[in-house]
Amino acid sequence: MKVLVPVKRVVDANVKIRVKPDKSGVDLTNVKMTVNPFCEIAIEEAVRMKEAGTATEVVAVAVGVSACQEQLRTCLALGADRAVLIETDVDIQPLGVATALKALQEKEQADIILFGKQSIDGDNGQTGQMFAALTGMPQGTFASEVTIENGKAYVTREVDGGLQKISTSLPVVITTDLRLNEPRYASLPNIMKAKKKQMDIFTPEELGVDVTPTLEVLSVEPPPVRAAGIKVESVEELVDKLKNEAKVIP
Amino acid sequence: MSESLDKLFSPTRIKRDADALATWGCDWTRSFPVAPSAVVFPETIEEVQALVVLANAEGLQLVPSGGRTGLSGGAVASHGEVVVSFDRMNRIIGFAPADRLVTCQAGVVTQTLQEFAERQGYFYPVDFASSGSSQLGGNIATNAGGIRVIRYGMTRNWIAGLTVVTGTGEILDCNQGLVKNATGYDLRHLFIGSEGTLGFIVEADVRLTRIPEPQRVMVLGFEEFRGILKVLSHFQSRIELSAFEFFSELALQKVTAHRKLQRPLAKSSPFYALLEFDASAVADASAAFEHTLGEGWVTDGVLSQSDAQAASLWQLREGISESLAPCSPYKNDLSVRITEMPEFLDVVDELMRASYPDFELVWYGHIGDGNLHLNILKPDDLSIEEFYGRCREINPRLFELVQERRGSISAEHGVGLLKKEFLEYSRSPAELEIMRALKSVLDPNGIMNPGKLL
Repeated sequence: MKVLVPVKRVVDANVKIRVKPDKSGVDLTNVKMTVNPFCEIAIEEAVRMKEAGTATEVVAVAVGVSACQEQLRTCLALGADRAVLIETDVDIQPLGVATALKALQEKEQADIILFGKQSIDGDNGQTGQMFAALTGMPQGTFASEVTIENGKAYVTREVDGGLQKISTSLPVVITTDLRLNEPRYASLPNIMKAKKKQMDIFTPEELGVDVTPTLEVLSVEPPPVRAAGIKVESVEELVDKLKNEAKVIP
Repeated sequence: MSESLDKLFSPTRIKRDADALATWGCDWTRSFPVAPSAVVFPETIEEVQALVVLANAEGLQLVPSGGRTGLSGGAVASHGEVVVSFDRMNRIIGFAPADRLVTCQAGVVTQTLQEFAERQGYFYPVDFASSGSSQLGGNIATNAGGIRVIRYGMTRNWIAGLTVVTGTGEILDCNQGLVKNATGYDLRHLFIGSEGTLGFIVEADVRLTRIPEPQRVMVLGFEEFRGILKVLSHFQSRIELSAFEFFSELALQKVTAHRKLQRPLAKSSPFYALLEFDASAVADASAAFEHTLGEGWVTDGVLSQSDAQAASLWQLREGISESLAPCSPYKNDLSVRITEMPEFLDVVDELMRASYPDFELVWYGHIGDGNLHLNILKPDDLSIEEFYGRCREINPRLFELVQERRGSISAEHGVGLLKKEFLEYSRSPAELEIMRALKSVLDPNGIMNPGKLL
C-alpha cells in the first residue's frame, strides 16, 4: 500500500512575521522556513503506517519553489522513502496544488493521500478537499484517529461538538488534525541517510498542468495594534467601565 | 522602629501582613524559616540610602529582595529583618547605542531587559530558566550564569557600571560604564557576586551585543559520561557552541512526565547532551556528529528542524529544575575544571550510592562550563527535615572531593544560608579573613543581608 503525503513549506511557527511595507504580502527574506506542522503530523502518521506494516511506501511531495527540497529532505529524514518536488516559482494556491497533485497521483496511484488539514500561513484548509473533488475520491477530513483494515479506512473526525466516525473505501483522501499524533524529531543518522534518498523533480508543464493562481491578493494588513491597558483607581470605576465602556456587564 | 519606617515609606509601599511577609521574605528555597518584620518598596536611590542610614541608626537589619528565584536562601529573611524589595525600581533609564549600554534600575526583570535589547536591535545574552522573574540586581549580586555561559560568560562580563548603596549609606558610582578605566581597584567586581552583604545594587550599566543568527539545537545520547567530554571538545574544535548542556536519563524521565513532552530519541540512553549553535554551522555540526558517531562516543541524536522544535528540545533541559520541585530536591551546584569532570562524576556517584542507596540522584548541568547540578530527591517516606539532615551529613565528604580538585561548592547558585558553613572547602582561611575584613569596612554594623555568605 502506497501513501502519498503532500507537504507545504511555510514560515516557522515561532517566527514573528512582518507585513511588507507595500502590503503585497508577508516579508520572507531571511525568515526560517519549515514543514507545515499539520503536514508533519501527516508524515508521522504515514511513517507509523509503514512501521506497523500497513503501508509499504511513503512518498512525500511538495509543490513550490526549489527551496522546498529542504523540507522534503526533512520528510525523508522522518521516514519517507522518496520525495517528489513539483517545482514552480508562481505564488501557489490551493486549487493549483490540488491540480498538480491530481496529475502526480495519476502516475503514482497511491492508496492513501494524507494531507495536513490546513497550512499555518494561508490558513485556507482547502487543498485536501479540492483534491478529493478533482479526483472523485472519498475523504476523511480533520482526522484524529485513522485505521486501515480489510481494504477500508476508518477515520475519526474532529467535528463541531464532538467526534464523528466514518469508514470509506480506498483510495482515500485523509486530512490530519492536531491530535492525530505527536511527530518525532528527525534523528541525525536518518538526516544523514536522507541525503541519499531519491528525489524527483518535475515542472507543472511536464505533468501537463497549469498552476497559475486564480485569486489575486489585493492587500495584506497586519492585525490592529492592541491598545495599552489602563489602571483604574477604584472598584467603582472598574465596574463603571465594564458597564458603560466595555459593556460586558449589564 | 516601625514608626521611622512609616515616615520613610507611604502606606502603599510598606507591607506587614502575613501573606506579604511570607511572599517577599523568601526565595525558591523552602528549608529556612521565613519571618521578616516588614517589606518595603523603595523607588529611588535616595530612598534606599535613607533606609540604610535609618537601619544603621536604629539597628534594623536589611535583606535585599529581587525576583526571589534564588536557590541558596540568599534572599530569605528569618530573623525579623526588613525586606527591601526592588520591585518598584524596575525602570530602564537610558540606552546609548554607541556605547551599547542600557542603564537599568536593579528591579528590571531579566526578560524585560532581553526584550528591550531586542527592540533596539541588540542582545543581552545572560539567560536562564527563571529569566521571566529574576531581576537584574539579583543577577548581579549572585553573578548569575545560566545556559549560554559557554559562549558569553557570566553576568559579570556584561556589567560596565554599577551604582551601589553601601552598608554605611555611601552611594558609589563604580566604573561609570567605561570600557577602559585603569585607576586602581575595580570596586564594581567586589559587589558582583557579593550577595547583598556589602551593599545594595541600585542601578547598573549593562553591555549589549549583536543579535546572534538563528540557532539550531541538537540533542545527543551517550552510553557513558566520558563520551560527553570527547564530544564537547570535538564540537568545540569545529564550531562555536552557544550552549552545551547535559542531563541524565532520570532527569529526562522527570521532565517529560511533568511537562508531557516527547522523548527526543527513539531509545533511551544513560546520558544526554543538548547543543546549540548558529544555523550557519549546521553542516559542520552534522559532520562533527558523524565523526563522534563513528568513534562510538554518541549513540544517537536529533537536530531541530524548526524554531518550534528547538524550543521544545530546550524545554527538556530548562524544565528539569521545576519538574523536580515536587520531590523537594536537595540541590548541589558544583564546579570543577572540565578535565576533572568524568573522574569527579564517578567518585561522587560512588560516594552517593554507597551512602544513600535509597535516594534517587538526578544529574544535569552546564557541562561546557564544568558545572554539575546534583539533585538528591526526597523519598516519599522521609520528612523534609530528616531528608535534608541526611543530605547535609554527606556534605563534608562531598565537598572534600570538590576541594581535592580545587573546585567550587557553589558554581552559580551562590552561598546564601545553604552553603555558608561549607565555604571553607572553596575558600582558604586567608581569603575568608580578607572577605570578613572587607565586610567590616563596607558594612561595619552588619546590617546588610546579615547571616548570609560569611
